Amino acid sequence: MAKGKHGIVTKMNKIRIDDEWSFFALVPALLWQILFLVVPVGLIILLSCVYFVGYTPVVTGSFFAHVFKLAYIRIIIFSLFMGLFTASLSLFIGYPTAYFLAFYVKDWLKNVLLFLLILPFWTNFLIHVYAWFFMLKRDGLLNDFLFSLGFIKEPLHLFNNLFAVSLVMLYCYIPFMVLPLYTVLEKIDPSLLEASQDLGASSSQTFFKVVFPLSIAGVLTGFILVFVPSFGEFVIPLLVGGEKYALVGSVIQYLFLSARDMNLGAAFTCLSSIILLLSIACIYILFNKKIIK
Amino acid sequence: MKSIELKKVTKTFNGETILKDISLFIPAGQFFALLGPSGCGKTTILRLIGGFEEVDSGSIYLGQEDITYQPTHKRRVNTVFQNYALFPHLNVFDNVAYSLMIQRKPKEEIRDRVVRILRAVRLERHMYKSIKQLSGGQKQRVALARAMINNPEVLLLDEPLAALDVKLREQMLIELIDLQEKMKTTFIYVTHDQFEALTVADSMAIMNPDGEIEQIDNPKTIYEFPISSYVAQFVGSTNLFHGILHRSENNVFTVLVASLGTFEVLIHDKKDWMRDGTAVIMSVRPEKILITKKSMDGFSNYITGEVISIVYYGRSTQYNVRVKNNMIVQVFEQNEEHFEKEVIDYQDNVYLYWQKENMVLLQK
Repeated sequence: MAKGKHGIVTKMNKIRIDDEWSFFALVPALLWQILFLVVPVGLIILLSCVYFVGYTPVVTGSFFAHVFKLAYIRIIIFSLFMGLFTASLSLFIGYPTAYFLAFYVKDWLKNVLLFLLILPFWTNFLIHVYAWFFMLKRDGLLNDFLFSLGFIKEPLHLFNNLFAVSLVMLYCYIPFMVLPLYTVLEKIDPSLLEASQDLGASSSQTFFKVVFPLSIAGVLTGFILVFVPSFGEFVIPLLVGGEKYALVGSVIQYLFLSARDMNLGAAFTCLSSIILLLSIACIYILFNKKIIK
Repeated sequence: MKSIELKKVTKTFNGETILKDISLFIPAGQFFALLGPSGCGKTTILRLIGGFEEVDSGSIYLGQEDITYQPTHKRRVNTVFQNYALFPHLNVFDNVAYSLMIQRKPKEEIRDRVVRILRAVRLERHMYKSIKQLSGGQKQRVALARAMINNPEVLLLDEPLAALDVKLREQMLIELIDLQEKMKTTFIYVTHDQFEALTVADSMAIMNPDGEIEQIDNPKTIYEFPISSYVAQFVGSTNLFHGILHRSENNVFTVLVASLGTFEVLIHDKKDWMRDGTAVIMSVRPEKILITKKSMDGFSNYITGEVISIVYYGRSTQYNVRVKNNMIVQVFEQNEEHFEKEVIDYQDNVYLYWQKENMVLLQK
């Protein structure tokens, strides 16, 4: 079988060439990552502890000492709280949505609903904010509606406060929760739910013993996808919070762009990033413990 | 163990009637097989008993108890699913212990019972393995142990061996029979594989593609005395001759088949439709036919023909013989090779002999 043997040899050569060339497929992504992630992060770390006298770099801890103040720490803690709050709330709202989409909706309707879910991404963010402005302002739609129903005598204060900030943040980030949840829930074999009921579990027992543990990867992904941007948010508090509520993003923006203090900005960025990474690690451990249980 | 009874059960999906007025009684403690082609509704029957679907009309009884509208998790019935449906986030032990944990049984009791049943299915060494690490046969046994641990009144098995290879399937069949004898649970076994059904079942129901039950009886009776040409063809292979009932005297009937002559059929119980002059079908199994080149005595029926193909199967050989009315008759012959046999070759002219006891008369 000379032909067959020859065939195999050719095939092996082909695989080796493919392997060599496949490295080059990575180059654009790698360059992108180095230019726009590794280099900026490196610069930030450098700026946070180094300043220049003439051309000579001097290493110092004074920038970190400066941002390690109660005012800054308070903002980081508030951001953590807002991130956790938004992520938890979007989990409670997003999970039933994703569950319903994955198990109860007919296939053709699934695509329509998923499309509607991501439709807001297709319009400009400022338009969302304006839409919410007209909804929530003193003589806005919501106040008018409640007033006409007789629920309220005085218009409610709904805009430029914490309520508006968390509402709009929730609105913006909820698709990031629903999509990963939907992806994992959709993959769960419905016969597992039947098996659970067959073995004597009620619907709620089935949910807590089978569905939720199997969707934990989606819960984790969704939670982090909402938590991280909420933590660093600066546009939403600026536009709908009446500039009263500073999150980490607002401070970074202030230090870099308004105060123009690169070193302080970099030190604060490093500090908040470390805290963010630590909290993600905590969330990760927490969720994984649940799996083992 | 308890009996299962379906009374006039009807089920439709999206306007399509799957089961119409099905009545079926499965005695307690039996290994019962539901045999039918894909899409005949046999799995639907199982899902109705398990509680995964609800009947449109009719009722289902477990023993004396009406369980038609009882929720799935309250039924004393467990299922072995076709794809096993093992929980991927739990290991072997936790999968098997699932129903006991739901009932909040004490830890020691759970442990004892799980270990005992895992020993029964020879999986005690794999107790803490994750489901992904198991082979197909091992997954099958976990599914079986998980369904049996709660001592159900009835165990439902939905094509449980479909995903296994032939050797493993034969071995699992024997294990299933052993387990059923040990546990005395009523087993309802759904399959499209006639070999599986004939092997395991105490009795079996044959369903046709329209979702109707054609015959319920023990495997031997179904195989030897099918009551319709559908059953005769679906269970095993057979040769069907179309003829006219010529004379029905005593127990031996004579049937005239155009251009082949007359055949004798021994009838055990005469049916109303068996009247002189009716068109009938006769069935004779390929292995009941003797194929030879020599003329022989002592047989009630014979025809002659020409061998048109020979298929060698190892333990048996199949001869396809074209007879005078151009019909192809199948003959199986055991390759026992105790004595030297005559050699039958392609295009040989042969005699086919069989006895009147081996023919079954069917309504056309």
